[in-house]
Amino acid sequence: MKDTPLSNCERDFILKAIEEKKRLDGRQTYDFRRIKITFGTDYGCCFVDLGKTRVMAQVSCELVAPKESRPNEGIMFFNIELSPMASPAFEQGRQSELSVKLNRQLERCLRNSKCIDTESLCVVAGEKVWQIRVDVSMLNNDGNLMDAASVAAITALCHFRRPDVGIQGDEVTVYSPEERDPIPLSIYHMPISISFSFFQQGTFLLVDPCEREERVMDGLLMIAMNKHREICSIQSSGGIMLLKEQVMRCSKIAAVKVSEITELISKALLNDRTARKAGGRCGFAESMPQERITALKTDETLMETSDVTERANDIVEKAGAPPQTVPSPLVPAPGVGQVSQGQQNTWGLQEEDEDDDDDDDEQNGKETKMETEPQEEEKGAGDVVEISDSEEEEVVILTSETSGQAKNADSSSHQKRAAASKRRPKK
Amino acid sequence: MAGLELLSDQGYRLDGRKATELRKVQARMGVFAQADGSAYLEQGNTRALAVVYGPHEMRGSRSRTLHDRAAINCQYSMATFSTAERKRRPHGDRKSTEMSLHLKQTFEAAIMTQLYPRSQIDIYVKILQSDGGNYSVCVNAATLAVIDAGIPMRDYVCACSVGFVDETPLADLCYAEESVSSLSVALLPRGGQIALLQMDARLHQDHLEALMEAAMTACKGVSKVLDEVVRQHLQEAAVLNVCP
Amino acid sequence: MATAQVSEAEKVYILHGIREDLRVDGRGCEDYRHMEIETDVVSNTDGSAKVTLGHTAVLVGIKAEIGKPRPMIPNEGYLEFFVDCSANATPEFEGRGGEELGTEISNTLYKVFNNKHSVDLQSLCISPGEHCWVLYVDVLLLQCDGNLYDATSVAIKAALFSTKIPRVHISTDDEGGKEIELSDDPYDCMRIQVENVPCIVTLCKVGHRHVVDATLQEKACSVASLIISVTHKGTVTCTRKVGGGSLDPESVFEMTEAGKRVGKALHAPLMKLLQHEESLGRKTPKVGFLG
Repeated sequence: MKDTPLSNCERDFILKAIEEKKRLDGRQTYDFRRIKITFGTDYGCCFVDLGKTRVMAQVSCELVAPKESRPNEGIMFFNIELSPMASPAFEQGRQSELSVKLNRQLERCLRNSKCIDTESLCVVAGEKVWQIRVDVSMLNNDGNLMDAASVAAITALCHFRRPDVGIQGDEVTVYSPEERDPIPLSIYHMPISISFSFFQQGTFLLVDPCEREERVMDGLLMIAMNKHREICSIQSSGGIMLLKEQVMRCSKIAAVKVSEITELISKALLNDRTARKAGGRCGFAESMPQERITALKTDETLMETSDVTERANDIVEKAGAPPQTVPSPLVPAPGVGQVSQGQQNTWGLQEEDEDDDDDDDEQNGKETKMETEPQEEEKGAGDVVEISDSEEEEVVILTSETSGQAKNADSSSHQKRAAASKRRPKK
Repeated sequence: MAGLELLSDQGYRLDGRKATELRKVQARMGVFAQADGSAYLEQGNTRALAVVYGPHEMRGSRSRTLHDRAAINCQYSMATFSTAERKRRPHGDRKSTEMSLHLKQTFEAAIMTQLYPRSQIDIYVKILQSDGGNYSVCVNAATLAVIDAGIPMRDYVCACSVGFVDETPLADLCYAEESVSSLSVALLPRGGQIALLQMDARLHQDHLEALMEAAMTACKGVSKVLDEVVRQHLQEAAVLNVCP
Repeated sequence: MATAQVSEAEKVYILHGIREDLRVDGRGCEDYRHMEIETDVVSNTDGSAKVTLGHTAVLVGIKAEIGKPRPMIPNEGYLEFFVDCSANATPEFEGRGGEELGTEISNTLYKVFNNKHSVDLQSLCISPGEHCWVLYVDVLLLQCDGNLYDATSVAIKAALFSTKIPRVHISTDDEGGKEIELSDDPYDCMRIQVENVPCIVTLCKVGHRHVVDATLQEKACSVASLIISVTHKGTVTCTRKVGGGSLDPESVFEMTEAGKRVGKALHAPLMKLLQHEESLGRKTPKVGFLG
């Protein structure tokens, strides 16, 4: 299925807002969305929420024969799945360009940086080694899948415990979790990727783009770093041209962000560990808030409410009088209801106007209340200015009282009426 | 890799080069008569062949036609005998798909696609022998092929890979040096704009600036060589046309 | 195969010309185009060759690896063919477009080499039932202008001629298992006898006559072709008919005779050329694509 297209209005709006350093959800240019990390019941399962983007990572292990070229190292296998659950644009089974890109980036970020000690995964050199498999599934796509996936993958790896093995001569016994405590993996460092999106040929930069911002961006720069300020991977994508200064700036920003996120991950791991030790039940089911309607759950945001009453009063004063209620319909003939007179037919066919008026009235009568309201308004309220949507972008002066109010017909502030007809200025 | 000194005390690398020295670059344009543009480039032991078809009508799915510019289609593949260990699949695996995407991205930035709306430009690159710096050699060969095809570009696209060993940046890596650390940069030399930046392996943030500087200098060196090749080819072609 | 679009008038023109033993580029019906052969162009391989036949360019690389012999024939090595029709030749081969043609050519190659005499497979055996040399022959089609089979077979012959397989010493270690040592000396190697390697000749039937080494245009005018592999003695190892048209038995006989004649005549100059190139030694720089 194709993604719903982005209209030009939305695109222009987002770009303009970015030029004024404003983002759709009120963040600053270098702000990340709220990250929430929860763990499942099994070791190695973790959910990461980055704003509305939701990603799940699961780590599993298996004893296999090692690669011939590396007989005493374990094998790491990464797999990112773009589940159709996440977005209507993702199709089941087909390996799209995005999927290849994310997979390769995750592989480069985690495997090439050697964050896991693969030699400790060796059981019997040349015969049996542990194969660690990390499966990341996208559950909801609201932009910036790469960062969410990298956080989820590395957290899951830190959380994972593999079974203990005992070697007696040639025999290898794998102990179940009940017999012996499983051992965590030895992780050297935690590489986390930070995505920067570029707009207007590289003039503007945003960290952690949401889905709408991703659609209008020119290109993306992904920097993966760990908290020791070591860069693990850099990847630029999209057709942008970068300058060296931009890259240096991004790396500095990334350093700050990575240390924050690493703190968060360590805290989450610590909480989970204490919860498990305390014997409490933990897992995915527990992390969902109870007794709440989850479909429309929105996060609570802090708001400044000290001057709310004043601002509310201002708005109420400036707004027009409330629209009059619709009078009860007249019944000119059985089976016909008329609510108002309807508008003047301005199609230019003068003779037919009168004949058509009645028909129009009847149709108008059956339409919803909202239709008639503007018509009532223009006759009643004094200072509601309607702007016509004719291509001439002319000023529309409705009544003699408001003749002084000439506003610019700014195309971006249209008021569209459902059954709009062209209105020419009255002579 | 134990036992192999990538940079000796006197400053010599495995193949005897100095730290900032590039490998020998030899190139030839117009290798194949049937394609619109073709080029062959050797950088040390890495050899690549690039072929360009286009701009021509959109093949395949017409729905992907872009109304205001040309669509660029790249395919990167390696010959099965190009690596030391025989490769089973020449293309279609993840690494080749990723490389194709990177090439496409690089050339979308450089080719003036606005001049050819609703058409398609195909760039096919084949690695005949691989000894490190695959991406860079592909980009350099493809640049020559695009020029041979007569498709206008904003600037030469030059690419080079650099690595970091013993606090020194090394330019133009071979296979052994690549596995330690590598940063690949595709540059448009005149404006100093980076079309693609890719790095694997760990590097401390403080070294990033020095490394990028070294990469950009190396790319500018490559661009000089490419420029010379193009001018020489043009001279040969002009001579052949003039002589009756 | 990549096809050329030919109009009816052009077809008639080519047909009439061939009737008079005069082809579009001035050749006779049994003449080959200008052929250029160079061996040892790829250094990662054990043997390689590049052949340019007019506008058709083919690159062959041979890698020798130690593997297990086939269970049915424990004291022989074997050859594995892989043909890669790259997108360089024509955009139609992009992605999986060239796979069909590639499998067709590699199947034909298997048939051609599937006899005792072409290559001495017993010399590829190291220890019967356990180890043997497997030669991976990888063919890369770079440019396609008709007559792929001929160019491929000449390239394979040249590549096999230049293949240097390192000598193997088998030693038994303490536990009775066999250890294989490859000699480090690059000059201490085994060569393959290519005297009996056949060459493929493709004959296309155009009108009432047949032509050797057809270009794409001539192929578009022909309805059927016969592929014959001929050794230097004139023995035919494999015959195949391709194309949708039909051939009557007399013309098949004629074409086979012509193919044998042409093929036999091809081998002697080829061997002479290969030996001459070898005798030039390593001093002459390899031209490869830079020529």
